Amino acid sequence: MTGESDRPPLADRRDIDRVYQPAEDSRLLAETALEYLETDDMVLDVGTGSGYVARRLAEEASVDVVVTDLNPHACRQAREADLPVVRADLLGPIRDSAVDVAVFNPPYLPTDPDDEWGDWMERALSGGDDGRAVIDPFLADLRRVLVPGGEAFLLLSSLTGVEAVREEARANGLTSMVVASESHSFEKLVVLHLRPSRPG
Amino acid sequence: MDEDLMDILCCPLDKHELELEVDEREGEEIIAGRLICTECGEAYPIEDGIPNLLPPDMREDAPA
Repeated sequence: MTGESDRPPLADRRDIDRVYQPAEDSRLLAETALEYLETDDMVLDVGTGSGYVARRLAEEASVDVVVTDLNPHACRQAREADLPVVRADLLGPIRDSAVDVAVFNPPYLPTDPDDEWGDWMERALSGGDDGRAVIDPFLADLRRVLVPGGEAFLLLSSLTGVEAVREEARANGLTSMVVASESHSFEKLVVLHLRPSRPG
Repeated sequence: MDEDLMDILCCPLDKHELELEVDEREGEEIIAGRLICTECGEAYPIEDGIPNLLPPDMREDAPA
């Protein structure tokens, strides 16, 4: 874990590794979700990366955890850690009403297209121009996969624009609430709790 | 991949159910095979124990 230092600028993380390693954001997401999980919940860790969040949830709560990632290196690490893993683009291959709780630490840093460098670490960090290139399609599909009464925890940075994400959630039939936040030197990390809005 | 995973998976293209074809097993774990959509017929490979449920047009679209 690298919880003690502030997140270095995006470019400094270049070539460190091909899989995003757990940092303060992963820890905040895991610890927040742990407060809400119920026994036997079916939990989906979307874009699991190192598998840190999934491992903590599986070890500290009696829940079933399945993980996904786009990155084949992350998928291999997850399998070596005995986490049930599917290589997937967000929620694409997940059945309707199959998930009690989804957790997602997305790529959320706004990145100038001229600064993108095209490797797996970029895919783990960069949220495109506005930081929401991956978050928005996740929100568009989330309601479909959640059971009635299901919920999700989404890690965000103040750099991503929390209100814009909440607006997008609303547009996709989701009620949102900030349930945790933590200040770091140049950003605030927040965990957004999402649940399907009542129909009508 | 554990067969239980089938309970939550579907075809990423049309969300229909998948059928499992096993080429290689190690105990309970499926090491190699494929998941085939019962509707559109698209086949998704299982390699080294990991099912690849990316839509076909994304399978090659990836950094090295």
